[in-house]
Amino acid sequence: MEKAIIVDHLVKDFEVTVKKPGIKGAISTIFSPQKTSIHALKSISFTIQKGELVGFIGPNGAGKTTTLKTLSGLLYPTSGFTQVLDYDPWDKNPEFLKQISLVMGQKNQLWWDLPAIETFELNRVIYGLNKKQFVQNLEELVTLLDLGKILNIPVRRLSLGQRMRLELVAALLYKPKVLFLDEPTIGLDLIAQQKIRDFIYEYNKKNEATILLTSHNMDDLVDLARRVIVIDKGKLIFDGVLEELVNRYAKEKLIKIYLTQSVNVEDFRKIGKVKKYAYPQVYLSVPRSTVAVAAAEILQDFPVGDLNIEEIPIEEIVRKVFSR
Amino acid sequence: MKKNLQKFYSIFRISFQQEFAYKLSFFLWRFRNVMQIFLVFFLWSAIFSNPSTEFFGYDRDKILTYVFGILIIKALVLSARAVDVASEVASGDLNNSLVKPINIFKYWFARDISSKALNIIFAIGETIILFIILRPPLFLQTNPFYLLAFILSIGIALLLFFFILFITSAVPFWMPEAAWGSQFLFIVVVVEFLSGSIFPLDIFPAALQKILYLLPFPYLIFFPLQTYLGSLSILSVLKGLGIGIFWCGALYLSMKKVWDKGLKAYQAYGR
Repeated sequence: MEKAIIVDHLVKDFEVTVKKPGIKGAISTIFSPQKTSIHALKSISFTIQKGELVGFIGPNGAGKTTTLKTLSGLLYPTSGFTQVLDYDPWDKNPEFLKQISLVMGQKNQLWWDLPAIETFELNRVIYGLNKKQFVQNLEELVTLLDLGKILNIPVRRLSLGQRMRLELVAALLYKPKVLFLDEPTIGLDLIAQQKIRDFIYEYNKKNEATILLTSHNMDDLVDLARRVIVIDKGKLIFDGVLEELVNRYAKEKLIKIYLTQSVNVEDFRKIGKVKKYAYPQVYLSVPRSTVAVAAAEILQDFPVGDLNIEEIPIEEIVRKVFSR
Repeated sequence: MKKNLQKFYSIFRISFQQEFAYKLSFFLWRFRNVMQIFLVFFLWSAIFSNPSTEFFGYDRDKILTYVFGILIIKALVLSARAVDVASEVASGDLNNSLVKPINIFKYWFARDISSKALNIIFAIGETIILFIILRPPLFLQTNPFYLLAFILSIGIALLLFFFILFITSAVPFWMPEAAWGSQFLFIVVVVEFLSGSIFPLDIFPAALQKILYLLPFPYLIFFPLQTYLGSLSILSVLKGLGIGIFWCGALYLSMKKVWDKGLKAYQAYGR
């Protein structure tokens, strides 16, 4: 399989001016600015195949966005090697830029005071699409994202969810082969999130596009990405399929019990950790290896109406990974 | 070539529409311009209230022509959308244009031209209104040499200002907090003062003028206007054009160099 993205020992340092607090601090910054180096990425390596959809997880400041920006040619790597579609992103070769797209949940490219269709038309020319391709692509995206009626309304009058979907249209009009999505569902309500997720999934399947997606929203990752890359403090700490992350860090399983009669909670403590007790519900967390035995025991000894064995929610696993 | 023109036209169009999105603030800004002209007009009228008064070789008529000439030339040269570049660098909004297959300099130049087109339309309208109200003496140049040299000098001035703007816009690559300051200091103070857009430069002592003429600033406003007015000898016009072209080249190369370095230091703020 062909490699779409290669990152090898990528390092990125930022120079920042340190400001001491208060007015006094502000003045002293003017006369004697103190610079420090922030190590945003400390030697990160990974490769992504063509057509893969990979989730990028990490807490704030872990270096996710820095990686995406480096891969789209915005940031100059301090050291290390990056290659996207056989190009060095930093060269900003127009042929390269025509094949990638960077969508940032909190930065928009749409012209704020004008209807979105104007931005689309500008992008049509910039990316060298002919009218026929343009109409075809636009129609497809507009239908998929359900946007027909708002193309001619000035962007500033639209809701965040509508704007985000229009941002996606602007970013995908030219059918980029590589897509960097930075928090595409940030600030959106559940329905809007789902719409965007379904859309990303479709786009990946249909166009065999390579997608690298960062999100704090675990639903995004569970729904979309089979493979995840976890980084923390500029270092890569996990790269593999989502289930493996679960297996590695989730040593326990969750038993959800619905009682028919109220019982003493203390009795459950002998079997596992009581996560939640609110009659008639009890959540118990039990080591993976003994889950079957525990379930049997519960069914035998307690007035159980219903019992379910589930994986620990992914949020909790990730929290565990980062709190180590 | 055709593709480039198409790109240029598209950027021109959308930029033009954007300028017009805030109609009220646009009109208020133009209104301020007109008031400014009134102010300068009456100031000079008062100074030259005695028709025989002459300062530094300027009589009342000449200085008033100068004032009106500045209105038009400023609208052409100093109105530039690229004043926004510094804040785009500081805020990280520059990201949007950097990830697109466009040349960033050409992109902003197209936006500049768009902004200038809008401004010149209004400046001409305002001049006509002011002309009717104030009835100043207006000098029409008919000599083809001076007219041609004037057009050329305006072209040079546009480019010079564009390059100067882009060089100062690079400051926030290293000092993002200085976006507004660098722009203000340079554009408002240095450029306006030394380009002759506040007062004619030939009221300076001769020695100072000599130095000034070696700098790029007089070629933004003062030189084109003097060329139009025909107050320079043919030789001085040619020499001025030469120096202007030299500065175009020098500033272009510096701009390229500064931006090459700046983009490497760029931190692409914002997510």
